[in-house]
Amino acid sequence: MRLWKDFVNGLWSENPTFRLNIGLCPVLAVTTTAIDGLSMGLATTFVLICSSALISLLKKIIPDKVRIPAYIIVIATFVTIVDLVMHAYLPDIHSVLGLFIPLIVVNCTVLGRAEAFAAKNGVLRSTVDGLGSGVGFTWALVLLGSLREILGKGSLFGMSFVQDGATTLGVMGLPPGAFITLGILMAVMNMVAARQKKRAS
Amino acid sequence: MTLFTILLSAILVNNFVLVRFLGICPFMGVSKQVGSAIGMGLATTFVMVVAAALTWVIQWFILEPFGLPFLQSMSFILVIAAMVQLVEMFLHKTSPALYRAMGIFLPLITTNCAILGFAIMAVQNSYNFIETVIFGLGAGLGFTLALVLMAGIREDLEFADIPKPLRGVGIAFILAGLLSLAFGGFSGLV
Amino acid sequence: MLAVIAMISGGILAVVYDTTSVIIEENQARALESSIYDVLPGTTTVNILRRSPDELGVDDPREMREQEQRTTLIYQGVDDQGRVVGYAFVGEANGYGGVIRVLVGVDQATDQILAIKILDHTETAGLGSRIEEQSFRQRFVGKTVEDPIAINQDIDNISGASVSARAVAEAVRRGFVDTSALYRGGE
Repeated sequence: MRLWKDFVNGLWSENPTFRLNIGLCPVLAVTTTAIDGLSMGLATTFVLICSSALISLLKKIIPDKVRIPAYIIVIATFVTIVDLVMHAYLPDIHSVLGLFIPLIVVNCTVLGRAEAFAAKNGVLRSTVDGLGSGVGFTWALVLLGSLREILGKGSLFGMSFVQDGATTLGVMGLPPGAFITLGILMAVMNMVAARQKKRAS
Repeated sequence: MTLFTILLSAILVNNFVLVRFLGICPFMGVSKQVGSAIGMGLATTFVMVVAAALTWVIQWFILEPFGLPFLQSMSFILVIAAMVQLVEMFLHKTSPALYRAMGIFLPLITTNCAILGFAIMAVQNSYNFIETVIFGLGAGLGFTLALVLMAGIREDLEFADIPKPLRGVGIAFILAGLLSLAFGGFSGLV
Repeated sequence: MLAVIAMISGGILAVVYDTTSVIIEENQARALESSIYDVLPGTTTVNILRRSPDELGVDDPREMREQEQRTTLIYQGVDDQGRVVGYAFVGEANGYGGVIRVLVGVDQATDQILAIKILDHTETAGLGSRIEEQSFRQRFVGKTVEDPIAINQDIDNISGASVSARAVAEAVRRGFVDTSALYRGGE
């Protein structure tokens, strides 16, 4: 029951993208299509799970003073592993995500979960917390990627539903489209949260 | 690529925030007032120029000759974090006034992905030492420009009647989109 | 403690790097080879013909990388009977959003372009990216090094993407002029 709570926490009430507004660079940069968003989300989720689990395991032997550099080393190790493995086995996706794979290191969500949760809780709960935050991050990326792909390319997950050569909103695939779509999504999520609060009270 | 092209491209054409989506968190967080936007921008620019010099030396005198390119992200981020700490301590001791103005931004700079991002990009482009430093300067100035522009608009927005759900980050992102559209006009310049 | 953690992670990464770097290199070589099959139909083996300006032999890794990027490589496509199909080379030019790299295949017998392929570009999606379309790339087929290969002369423009289209023409022409002297009469 408590584990379930830890998991669901990351999905909505502490969703990194929509509720905490952290780790936003990849949310904007690699959501031109739903597939890009999904692959970025999964890569980040892997790093989140592994680093949360390992940091929770090591929390007793890491001296408090050097904990942040130690966390950074652990996170950077997993990020580099993801980077190398994707480059070797998924070269196409790797070239699309490009720079944003090594930049998972500075994604505030990963360090944030390590400091706020994994450093204080057991391995199992930390792993589940990492998974929750990762899935929360992933659904945000997939949602934004799907919207931008539908409007910008007339397709979803690569499957086109408009005629060849049809005019689509090309700007959705460009930087301005990313900013504006995310701004509107943020407003929608705020509305949902406000309504939830009203109902609860 | 001449030095001028690298500088201009990093500031305007491929603006780090509005076109490349790097450093979005501080861009959203510290763009409510022009004063603090300038402080954050200049502190970041300073760290970027120093980081440019250091990461270049690490890449071409340690990582490549010893065949350790896979330690790139790790060594770069540790160097950047250590450097930010040093700058903080140095400012604290020597110039309390500057420390008060910049101090609160310094810890935020470590996790600014624009710094790690530009350092990795400089390596990918095989820039030489001078080019890397100029690229860092351009990246920092571009970040500052975007931050200050945004802060100027958001100060005026204080008095606007914005629908409630859009207040805060929502409207900020839509503004950033419009700014990004304007910066799109610079592409093709170099 | 910190040093121990750093050493362990360095060790793990070294192992991962060793296993993956082989696959990464193989993938890159295969990707380029399959591009060459696309522009030189019928090719089964690819020979790398010529490196210029000089052979690589520099110790400084950064200089070596730079020189590697400057080096003109010419690929010779050979079919299953051992006959030379043609030659392929890469041309570059600045487009709207950055450098455009084009792979060009030239017929051995007629010296005409067989096909071109856009290797990479950073043009605007939906506008400049239309240089990748078959209908545009088709416009270069049959050109020789004596042709002007220029937009609005012998190559039709793409409306809304003239800067990108001009860059592709320039990349093809530049690569063609730079390399045709190198492989003609050689080997």
